[in-house]
Amino acid sequence: MTALQRNNVVEHGRRDGRPMVFAHGFGCDQNMWRFVWPAFAEEYRIVLFDHVGAGGSDAAAFDRDRYASLRGYADDVLEICRELDLRDVVFVGHSVSAMIGVLAAGAEPERFGRLVLVGPSPRYIDDEGYAGGFTREDIEGLLESMDSNYLGWSSAMAPVIMGNDDRPELGEELTNSFCRADPEIAGHFARVTFLSDNRADLPAVHTPSLVLQCSQDAIAPDAVGEYVDRQLPDSRLVRLEATGHCPNLSAPEETIAAIRAFLAA
Amino acid sequence: MTVDDEEDLFESAPCGYLSTLPDGTIVRVNRTFEAWTGLHREELIGERRFQDLLSPGGRIYHETHYAPLLRMQGSVREIAVEIVRADGTRLPALVNSVLRSDEEGRPQLVRTTVFDATDRRRYEQELLRARRQEREIAQQLSASLLSGSLPTAPGLEVEVAYHPAVSGLDVGGDWYDAFWLDPGETVGLIVGDVVGRGIDAAATMGQLRSAVRALASTGLGPGPLLDALDAYAERHDVGRMTTLICARLELSSGELRYACAGHPPPVVIPPGEPPWLAWEGRSTPLDVSSAAGGPRPDAGLTLAPGSTLLLYTDGLIERRSESLTDGMDRLLEQVGAHRDEPPATLAPALARALRDPEHVDDVCVLAARVGA
Repeated sequence: MTALQRNNVVEHGRRDGRPMVFAHGFGCDQNMWRFVWPAFAEEYRIVLFDHVGAGGSDAAAFDRDRYASLRGYADDVLEICRELDLRDVVFVGHSVSAMIGVLAAGAEPERFGRLVLVGPSPRYIDDEGYAGGFTREDIEGLLESMDSNYLGWSSAMAPVIMGNDDRPELGEELTNSFCRADPEIAGHFARVTFLSDNRADLPAVHTPSLVLQCSQDAIAPDAVGEYVDRQLPDSRLVRLEATGHCPNLSAPEETIAAIRAFLAA
Repeated sequence: MTVDDEEDLFESAPCGYLSTLPDGTIVRVNRTFEAWTGLHREELIGERRFQDLLSPGGRIYHETHYAPLLRMQGSVREIAVEIVRADGTRLPALVNSVLRSDEEGRPQLVRTTVFDATDRRRYEQELLRARRQEREIAQQLSASLLSGSLPTAPGLEVEVAYHPAVSGLDVGGDWYDAFWLDPGETVGLIVGDVVGRGIDAAATMGQLRSAVRALASTGLGPGPLLDALDAYAERHDVGRMTTLICARLELSSGELRYACAGHPPPVVIPPGEPPWLAWEGRSTPLDVSSAAGGPRPDAGLTLAPGSTLLLYTDGLIERRSESLTDGMDRLLEQVGAHRDEPPATLAPALARALRDPEHVDDVCVLAARVGA
């Protein structure tokens, strides 16, 4: 199994263009970028993928040990880059994938030209002298939310979700497919995402970086975006008017403009 | 004919109504929502966003699932959330939302209905708790049944790598055992696989493990021991279709007698020679042939000093979409790569290298090395 198959890699744009790798965050899949990547397709080589356990990835490739920390997900990014022989990559990571990009760039700096970090947070849980925005109990609450919301489509939907769909009558019910995920894997990814602490990885990454900070982002608040910007040696922060945590969906034009300006600079 | 008043239909509907701007800012609520939450429209409209009313965990869920789905699908339904009431208590609710967009597809308004799901959520939580409990009990049971130290002596090293399945909900029924029949001289080595999962499988495994130990202590050789175990399985209606391998090893001579009841063959790793599969002493799984067949056969071989014997379960060689022969080939290949390692590192290395990546089945590897 190649990384391209495992991570359901999809390519668009110019084959000879500078590679732009888009990484989705916790919760959904590569569709999160559907309003953004087309704006770059004329100039760039667009690479989309799903993290293992999300979207069209091969859930069978999930391994608790490999994905016990974000480093396992960063290794996947590096494997994709290697298999496609990508260099001077513009890595665009949303939410937890912003940090996954930081880890990947830290491990193989020569491969990455720019990092675009959309709503990054190196640690979600409050710590002494650091306000991540959440407590450990909050994260347990998230896991409970996930449990409640998987009940409806865990076993009946499993064959469809796992891609072995020989029951077309279930197709009608397959709403929420952008967020489909094996419940066990999704719960694991939630834990790894929200209990991780990658603050110490930031100062070592010298790749020119853009931090895109939304207004009223409940997941990655202002202070966290500023922290990331301060800790990265070569970074600039742009505040978006967009509210919430997903400007790639709620304000694609503003997001595209900010990325363009950064890449032109 | 009575015609329902539209305003009253909205205000006093048997569900909460909530309209928000695309960013979540509340622009309209009905009386039902106010009554359920104790929050009043003056403090909501233009003041709070829908996601501000959720528990912190629910807020993350909203941002990572709910909002993206709504934007991409134009609607979401049956999402479970908890709305924090004015007094701090939580209202478990199921919500449906639709996104209204203008002619150019730009989102304008979100309409949400809120259903009180208090009783339903309580029942769901009971189900979840029961499911978790059963799983924990089965895991504890299985772990306690497999605890206990392995025999060691000069001229004998035994190590086991045991990984219960993780991707399924229940533990499986693989088991192993290694015990002295004559301390320092004769050792019994067992690896078996009970059909099924969960508490039942763990309990069956415990019964068979005890029965095998008891029968082995009476001096029965591997073949007759399996016959006696057949009778036990039939008499107590337990463990039908279990596969296992029973081996009895004399340390001083390296003589091994073994019998396989429907179980994958042991691997013999002689020092300086290629590893091979011991295909003799075979019969059907437990309690299948007891009526038809005669006594179960066993077979003998001699382990030269420095040889390693490998017993394992099918989790090591079986993979979806692959033949068993391929699995056996892969096993021999990996054994070849790790052949010079002592049991302490050989068993875990093989389990790691050969384990089904989906982890849907238990894996158990027992390695025993004789002589020096």
